[in-house]
Amino acid sequence: MYQRIFGAILLATCVSLVVVAWGYQAPFSYEPVGPRAYPLLLLVLIIAGALYLLFKPASISLAPVPGHDEEVPLDRPMLIKVCTCVGLLLVYAALFERLGFVLSTTLFGFFIARLYGARWWQCAVIGVVASIGLYLLFDYALDVPLPLGVLELLEN
Amino acid sequence: METLSYLGQGFGVALTPYNLFTALCGTLIGTVVGLLPGLGPINGVALLIPIAFALGLPPESALILLAAVYLGCEYGGRISSILLNIPGEASAVMTTLDGYPLARQGKAGVALSISAWSSFVGGLMATCGVVIFAPLLASWAVAFGPAEYFVLMVFAIVCLAGMAGNKPMKTAIAALIGLLLSCIGIDSNSGVYRFTFGSLGLADGIQFVVLVLGLFSVSEILVLLERTHNGQKAIKAGGRMLFNFKEGASVLVTNLRTGALGFFLGILPGAGATLASAVAYMAEKRLAVKDNKFGEGDLRGLAAPETANSASACGSMVPMLTLGVPGSGTTAVMLGALTLYNITPGPLLFQNQPDIVWGLIASLFVANLMLIVINVPMIKVFTKILAVPYWALVPVIAIITSIGVYAVHATTFDLFLMIGIGVVGYILRKMDFPLSAILLGFILGGLMEQNLRRALSISNGELSILFSSPITWVVWVLIAGMILFPIWRTLRRRREVRRALAAAE
Repeated sequence: MYQRIFGAILLATCVSLVVVAWGYQAPFSYEPVGPRAYPLLLLVLIIAGALYLLFKPASISLAPVPGHDEEVPLDRPMLIKVCTCVGLLLVYAALFERLGFVLSTTLFGFFIARLYGARWWQCAVIGVVASIGLYLLFDYALDVPLPLGVLELLEN
Repeated sequence: METLSYLGQGFGVALTPYNLFTALCGTLIGTVVGLLPGLGPINGVALLIPIAFALGLPPESALILLAAVYLGCEYGGRISSILLNIPGEASAVMTTLDGYPLARQGKAGVALSISAWSSFVGGLMATCGVVIFAPLLASWAVAFGPAEYFVLMVFAIVCLAGMAGNKPMKTAIAALIGLLLSCIGIDSNSGVYRFTFGSLGLADGIQFVVLVLGLFSVSEILVLLERTHNGQKAIKAGGRMLFNFKEGASVLVTNLRTGALGFFLGILPGAGATLASAVAYMAEKRLAVKDNKFGEGDLRGLAAPETANSASACGSMVPMLTLGVPGSGTTAVMLGALTLYNITPGPLLFQNQPDIVWGLIASLFVANLMLIVINVPMIKVFTKILAVPYWALVPVIAIITSIGVYAVHATTFDLFLMIGIGVVGYILRKMDFPLSAILLGFILGGLMEQNLRRALSISNGELSILFSSPITWVVWVLIAGMILFPIWRTLRRRREVRRALAAAE
């Protein structure tokens, strides 16, 4: 069932992308193939694939093979966990430059460790050690510049 | 003769103290990444690219580092397979079948050492294969024009789908999605912005580090949520730590056979280490009719997949170096790393940048030797790492991933893009789409379009140029075969299942 829903979504996306791609035309053309043909070709092929997913005959098999199930059950607690994790990542991305690497990473490390089943004190250790340790490693040892954010005030 | 002098030059590059140290770091990182469940060579290599770039490593050292990580992962994946019954990465799945039973019989030390030895033999054979075949293929591929290249890439995509086993259609769709993703951004020929939707961050396309880390790291983090556990008990690696002569001799034929098999499967675009180890295991099982204990701890069943996956890892370097067409997901990432250095992979690489090519090939020998040397005595250290729980591991992976993505452009837009790609990747994974096909499509996409348009510019829009040379004919025949083969296989399987169902009633 999920497969067919996915096929429908893929189909709708591709059709709307075809509409978008239809307008791609070079103002001056130096070559026979413009910027439009190749993406359109790909989109048509994906649409064919999506139609196959939508209408393909149900798979037949002797016995359901465990682990190779086509329909992957995703229960409610799992879904909440996945959404929380995505939410944490989004908040982290949003705070990355504003708060600076060290502070945002401490917060992120703390909560994400909690999500993966750490105790509170373990969360705190992970947050602090990961943020300061990785900051020193990347900014000083590996020369990857990381944003200081709020901590910039302390520097002066 | 010429090859040997080039190889000597390569060793000159690989044996400088700086590059030796790089290779050593790579092998250590690779082994650790490989043995951690859930992290495979693609993640390892992708995470290291921004770091290699930031460190200002010269291109040959960066490639040596990445290749060492790749080989190290194939070595490391076996450790968790044998001791935990959890494959450290996809290509080590087959290793669990006989490795874990051996460990439970108290032969963990023997199993670990013989699998390390097998990996070594596989890697060594395949590296020799690279030395012999890569220059041949490169000198032949110089004759390729844009039309031939385009057809070859079509073959690579079709091959990827045709070899994908039970889901050719999904693999094809995934590869096409990858090809489409490569269209995003400004079109270099006409200056038209495609699929950017007015976003400045997308104007020069999706950065491939962002795509790789989104697809593999973020989606992996989400998948690991389902397996929250606090460090599993690993079987103690006890007993005899080294296999004896008799055991070594008993698997030697297997090593040689599966090494060759793995090398050739590695060369085929799309058929990576996972397929190679599976085919090798099945073939050896079928060959060993007498006294086979496959599945209950047969040494040959352990040696076969390990030899094959190391051999195919080296073999997949051949199409990457000679044609610029990646042979596996990980070489696709390495190819992306080369383009970051403004080096166009392809047959001319052998003429223009012999230091890079032969340095890389020589370093495969060096890395292989390092791996066997560090893997046998240091096995105790590596098994300790297996005890690290997810709650400590995942935050570190997530943070390093974010740093890697941020380091490319220093914009948070890329972070959001990575999360978006990761969520889509997670959904695709749940739908059983192979993510490495998207990656291969993405890497090939740009080259494919350029070659198609160049070919059609030459012929002034005549499509017949795509069918005009003997090389293209041969490749088209191969393409047709690759399309028909899975269809025939599916039909046959359906018929068999129907017959069995009818017989059961």
